[in-house]
Amino acid sequence: MKAPRTTIRNKLVKAMMLTSTTVLLLMGVVFVAHDIVSFRRFLVEALVTRANILAANSTAALAFRNLEDATQVLDALKADPRMIAAGLYDERGHLFATYPPGAPSGGVPAESGPTGHRFDKSDLIVSQPVAEEGRRVGAIYLKSDLLELDDRVRVDVMVVLLAVLGSIGVAFALSTWLQRRIALPVLDLAKVVQSVSDDKDYSIRSKAVGDDEVGVLAEAFDEMLQEIQTRDKEIRLLNADLERRVVARTAEFEAANKELEAFSYSVSHDLRAPLRHIDGFVELLTKHASSTLDEKGRRHLATISGAARKMGALIDDLLAFSRMGRAEMRKTSVNLASLAEEVVQDLKVDAKDRRVDWKFGPLPTVHGDPAMLRLVFQNLFSNAIKYSGPRGAARIEVDAQPQNGEIVVSVRDNGVGFDPTYAHKLFGVFQRLHGPTEFEGTGIGLANVRRIVSRHGGRTWAEGAIGQGATFYFSLPK
Amino acid sequence: MLVLARRALILTLVTVLNSSTAFGAGAKLTQEYDLKATFLFHFAQFVEWPAETLPDKAPFTIGIIGNDPFGKSLDEIVANETIEGHKLVIRRFQNLGQIDSCQILFIAPSEGKRLDQLLSHLDRRSVLTVGDSRDFALRSGIIGFVISDKRLRLVINLAAANAAKLTISSKLLRQSEIVGPAPVRE
Repeated sequence: MKAPRTTIRNKLVKAMMLTSTTVLLLMGVVFVAHDIVSFRRFLVEALVTRANILAANSTAALAFRNLEDATQVLDALKADPRMIAAGLYDERGHLFATYPPGAPSGGVPAESGPTGHRFDKSDLIVSQPVAEEGRRVGAIYLKSDLLELDDRVRVDVMVVLLAVLGSIGVAFALSTWLQRRIALPVLDLAKVVQSVSDDKDYSIRSKAVGDDEVGVLAEAFDEMLQEIQTRDKEIRLLNADLERRVVARTAEFEAANKELEAFSYSVSHDLRAPLRHIDGFVELLTKHASSTLDEKGRRHLATISGAARKMGALIDDLLAFSRMGRAEMRKTSVNLASLAEEVVQDLKVDAKDRRVDWKFGPLPTVHGDPAMLRLVFQNLFSNAIKYSGPRGAARIEVDAQPQNGEIVVSVRDNGVGFDPTYAHKLFGVFQRLHGPTEFEGTGIGLANVRRIVSRHGGRTWAEGAIGQGATFYFSLPK
Repeated sequence: MLVLARRALILTLVTVLNSSTAFGAGAKLTQEYDLKATFLFHFAQFVEWPAETLPDKAPFTIGIIGNDPFGKSLDEIVANETIEGHKLVIRRFQNLGQIDSCQILFIAPSEGKRLDQLLSHLDRRSVLTVGDSRDFALRSGIIGFVISDKRLRLVINLAAANAAKLTISSKLLRQSEIVGPAPVRE
């Protein structure tokens, strides 16, 4: 089980922090925006109120054209450093008095403007009529800077930022505490799952408690573990039992096999002595009585002698086969190419009258018993020569290919071939697909080949068709 | 001391009157009386008359006695104006007997000789008397026009106003020089 890339703990903390910070920032933006709007409204109201007060105080000054008094009324504005400029206008809208007194032109418009307020780039401007007893006697103009608003915004932003920072701290503490409550059972469970997965120890229980889904999950997991543990125990018991039975059965088989081998060996061995007697005495009888016997008698003796020799050969082969099953393997590195070459040389001596066209592919060096492998080649090569007998020139191709971690050696001939229906019978003892009159042989050769190859850990098989030659394969582990 | 001071004031008044007459005819004089006409109108806003002297729907009268120096300007200013629901009207009087209901009475400079007679006739009546000199206020007229520093200023005799049961707005008082603790009779 691979380790998780991130922890649920981190995810939970991140989710909570993100949520709270986003909400706070949004609230902060709304708060600042609302505060700016309401503070602007407040500034307007304050300035309008101030304009109204000044207007009320300056009605007589305007009505009776008293510049000193008008200037004095406006001069009260110097108490407020935010006031940039102010102006009083007479009935006809001409500028009458200014603040500061004798203000530079441009600071205050020369003619009174429409009633109302407006925000300039950095100023707030209010124009109000001045009226006495409901009759307009002039107008007032006030211009205030907005530094206060800037300060307010600055303070607001600072407050919001501080609140967000503080809240992030609190949110972090809270989310750490909360995630512990949520994540710890999950982490415990994950740890248990990890150790179960790593150690295959199904006796562990999460024992996680919780009133939420994690608790349910833990409970279900524990139940599952219980089930697995029970089944695991059963499987182990069954396995152990099975193994025991296999061992017992194998031992039985081995004993039976050994007994059988011993039996066949002793039978074969014991059969040889009387057979040698028969053969020896038939020879003696032939020497001794050939002159007294007629032609028929001599033919009978020859038949007996031939049968005895054949039986001897058969018994020898059987003994060899039996020995092959029991003989100890002496494994060493074997060069298949030179081994095959030697076998071919031996066979050339035995079959001088046959023309054989040998063709060898590159053969590797393998690990095995050289004597046994020599026997394999002997059998396969002599079979190939034998079954291509009627065709005159025999062509035999020997090759080796690596395949799926094995070395597959093939021996192909252009002989009589065989019926593929019986391919599985080829390697059995005494299994012959051709009559003894057609081809000589005891029917033990291929059985020996299979036995040797399988003792080396390989397999044997054959391909072919009647009249189209045959290919015999054996594989050896690399 | 007081008497000396008064003499000095009278002298000053004479000088002012001379200088004001020096405005002579022409645009400057017209301008001056245009402004005075406006002031007369504004007095209606800054002075309160006892309710019984100004019944509902009665016109608010601005009277002129003597030679009218305003020409058409005063009529233009008050045309279609009302003050607290009272229609403003201008009436021109030639002698005392014609003065019956009147809230503001401008006593033209031509009446200088019979000023005391006029004032005593109006004594205790709620009429805001307005004259064209500082001396006017000193001689128990209520408001006198004064020109100083090329500006039109007001001199108010508060005692005379009180005697006439008129309440002058503090705003108006702020604009004015206040003279005379008591009506002056000579």
